[in-house]
Amino acid sequence: MAETTLVRAEAAPSAGGGLMRRLNMWTGIGLGVVLAVAAYVIGQALWADDPQGTDQAVIAGEIGWVIGFLIGVGAFVAPIRWMLGRDLTHDDEMFLAGKDQGVSRYFRFTTDHKVVGVQYLVLAMTTFGVGGILAMMIRTQLLRPGATLFGPQTYNALVGVHGIVMIVSTIIMVVGPWGNFIMPIMIGARDMAFPRLNALSFWTLFPAVPIFLSIAAFGGIPTGLVAYAPLSTQAPPGMDAFAIAIILFVISAGIGAVNIIVTALSMRAKGMTWNRTPIFVLGITAGSLLGLVALPCFEVAMLYTLLDRSMLASFFTPDQGGSQWLYANLFWLMGHPEVYVILIPGTAAVLEMTPVFARKPLYGAKMAVVGIIGLVALSILVWAHHMFVSGWAPTLAGPFMLTTELISIPTGLIFLVLVGTIWRGKIWVRLPMLFIYGFLWNFMIGGVTGIYLSDVPADNELHGALFVTAHFHYTLLGGAMIGAMGALVYWFPKMTGRMLNERVGTVAFWLVMIGFNVTFLSMFYNGLEGMPRRVADYQPQFATANMISTFGAYIIASGMLVFLYAIISSWRSGKEAGPNPWHAKTLEWFVPSPPPLENFEVLPVVTGDPYGYGEPDTHHTTHPGVVSVSASTTEVDG
Amino acid sequence: MTHDTDVVPEESARPPLQERLRSPGGKLAARVGLVVLILTVVLLAFGIWWPNATLPTTASDTQEAVRMTLLVFSIAAAPVMALVWGISYFSLRHWSHSGDAPPEDGPPIRGNNRVVGSWLIVSSVLTAFLLVWGLSELTATTTISSSASPEIIKVTGQQWLWSFSYPEDGGVSSPDLVLPLNRPVVFQVTSTDVIHSFWLPEMGIKIDANPAVTTSVSTTPTLLGTFNVRCAELCGLNHSYMETTATVMGGDDFNSWIQTHGGTPGQHVAEEASNG
Repeated sequence: MAETTLVRAEAAPSAGGGLMRRLNMWTGIGLGVVLAVAAYVIGQALWADDPQGTDQAVIAGEIGWVIGFLIGVGAFVAPIRWMLGRDLTHDDEMFLAGKDQGVSRYFRFTTDHKVVGVQYLVLAMTTFGVGGILAMMIRTQLLRPGATLFGPQTYNALVGVHGIVMIVSTIIMVVGPWGNFIMPIMIGARDMAFPRLNALSFWTLFPAVPIFLSIAAFGGIPTGLVAYAPLSTQAPPGMDAFAIAIILFVISAGIGAVNIIVTALSMRAKGMTWNRTPIFVLGITAGSLLGLVALPCFEVAMLYTLLDRSMLASFFTPDQGGSQWLYANLFWLMGHPEVYVILIPGTAAVLEMTPVFARKPLYGAKMAVVGIIGLVALSILVWAHHMFVSGWAPTLAGPFMLTTELISIPTGLIFLVLVGTIWRGKIWVRLPMLFIYGFLWNFMIGGVTGIYLSDVPADNELHGALFVTAHFHYTLLGGAMIGAMGALVYWFPKMTGRMLNERVGTVAFWLVMIGFNVTFLSMFYNGLEGMPRRVADYQPQFATANMISTFGAYIIASGMLVFLYAIISSWRSGKEAGPNPWHAKTLEWFVPSPPPLENFEVLPVVTGDPYGYGEPDTHHTTHPGVVSVSASTTEVDG
Repeated sequence: MTHDTDVVPEESARPPLQERLRSPGGKLAARVGLVVLILTVVLLAFGIWWPNATLPTTASDTQEAVRMTLLVFSIAAAPVMALVWGISYFSLRHWSHSGDAPPEDGPPIRGNNRVVGSWLIVSSVLTAFLLVWGLSELTATTTISSSASPEIIKVTGQQWLWSFSYPEDGGVSSPDLVLPLNRPVVFQVTSTDVIHSFWLPEMGIKIDANPAVTTSVSTTPTLLGTFNVRCAELCGLNHSYMETTATVMGGDDFNSWIQTHGGTPGQHVAEEASNG
């Protein structure tokens, strides 16, 4: 991008830009609200007599909001300018990249990948906050038997929105912030392959968040996050909001995934062969590829649900010739690969950090790649293990048990790589290393409990029970999210130029780890005793473990608040980090913290893999592309 | 990248075991082996304890298979968990360094083909074992072994209650489930509205109740008493309260229960073909 814009600047050196420079998040919200209200009112008037009229009006209103927001935020400025025959000038491109705009660039349609990364991080932390508050409400309801706090309708809505908000948050939590902020620098690029698509990906996700929240205003959802039909067809209009938000999220994720894949494929620095590419880059590329394949199934399922609800299309309604198993298959064709879309980037971040804090090369690096590729390939072949008790295709129980159990082989390889790297290393006990150990503990429990669930007879007992809830929280929260929190601590200095306060962060780590294990080990216990998932009330026999679980959840919440405090206070006034506080070898540590607009002064050249710890002759780069700070970084490299 | 660059000299020559154990590297292996061994024993004890301590009462042959599966898988998992956790803990204990960066890096071990190969073989063998175990238990739990003729019970879920009927006993119907002891039972399960899931936690069986489709599952109750019937699939407003009881009775008691509810044991009632 940089080269072409420079040429363009010489051809047409003009300022101006007019309207484009006045658009930001607030104009987006303004226009979005106007169009939403207009579409909703018109819809109500047009379809007043239709039994599905309310659904149609809600759908129209939500679509109005999305289109209004995207126009208002300036997502279509460049295409409109092209249609008018006025190309973007170099000044315009620099404006879009957020040059010299200070904080306000975070509230605009800004194309700089580092701005998009920060935007994703703040958005993910916000949605984690929302999902976390909902989790606390759920656990408080379950503190004692007797449905003491909420009625069943409210409770079911809490469960459903908590689930989907957390799924969305965990999908974006590594790829969004670090895939955008760090990955291009890590491969020696000046930006993503498609900077405007990058901004579009974020600003398409942003309007989905209010739509998720609007589910509450439209009667909630009774279905949980799986949104099974035909329960979804009898649900209130909250279900329409849910479906629109999912469709929007999948579009956003697709745009982001394509961008990451193309960037990793085509923009790696000179000399960065696949063998020299950091494992984190490979991991988020694999995760994005998997998301690109899997997530559209959910989009299609939600589109059909909308058609069923608003126009009686009967894709999923058995009394009109549809099939609930069609929905379940579409959902899980997305649903199982999706857990690896969450897990692989988090695991890749852990794999990236382990050599740095063990001061040893990544052990069996090729096996880590084989493990990741194995997870990607197998994860699209296991979806029906979620349907073992559905009654659909009992003859497939054996084959799906096989594919599911095979997943333990690539997962085992990743454990081998981690343990092999740690073994005999110089274990540098800093905060990211604590998170690596937390990952090893939690993800092992999550993995082993998954093996019980892969077994059909055991699954017949455990499916739909709290055991499953505990299992996937161990993999997604205890595994992937603990890894993502470690990644936040690790790359925080690069992003902000300041160290995260490790004393406060360590307190947060222990609170989260202890709280997490208390909460979900109790949940395993209740699940084994026979307590179903997603219930607003339960029999007194489950009371003790539920109370312990709720207290554990409060400990997690306090830990997360401490972690948030550490982030905010360190961002404002943390210790200056310098370019390479962890003495790491990947390219992002050669540029200043925070990196300048186009990252490198000249493009770097890669000469070896980035894990040459203890090997004086292995250099990841001899020309790091940064003239001004190269003195300090070459010293570190040696 | 995975060629042997392990710097431990005694690895290549492989002197006798006693000498290796006395050497610094061998001592290391013995110490970490001890940690892994202790951890394995602890995890094995836990793995043997918990399936019995936490699962509900075993009231059917199916639940017995579930209990055995959890037990066997826990035993198989214990050494693997112990290895990963043991080595991680040992490394943290013996080679940790806090504060500033360690003055020198660790040994540049890039990998070891023997270790990776053994790891792959062991994990493949374990996986094959899990699969064979699972398939044989699956066959055992889905085949009706007893020679007694199975009792067929039709189960209908609707928002938010269960109903049961006994088409082979004069069409008796009931809101509670009553089962004969030591006789195979085949449940034919359907729903009138949304998806429910018919779950007998003490008998280890669960099958979804789907609208417009009949699914089936079977078990043999092996314990007298009153147990739980729950819905295990979120089915709307009162999902939490969609539960009832399952009472297992001896053969004579079961027959008299049928009679007091206006049925005749063994009298077959023709059903509508559309239910199939």
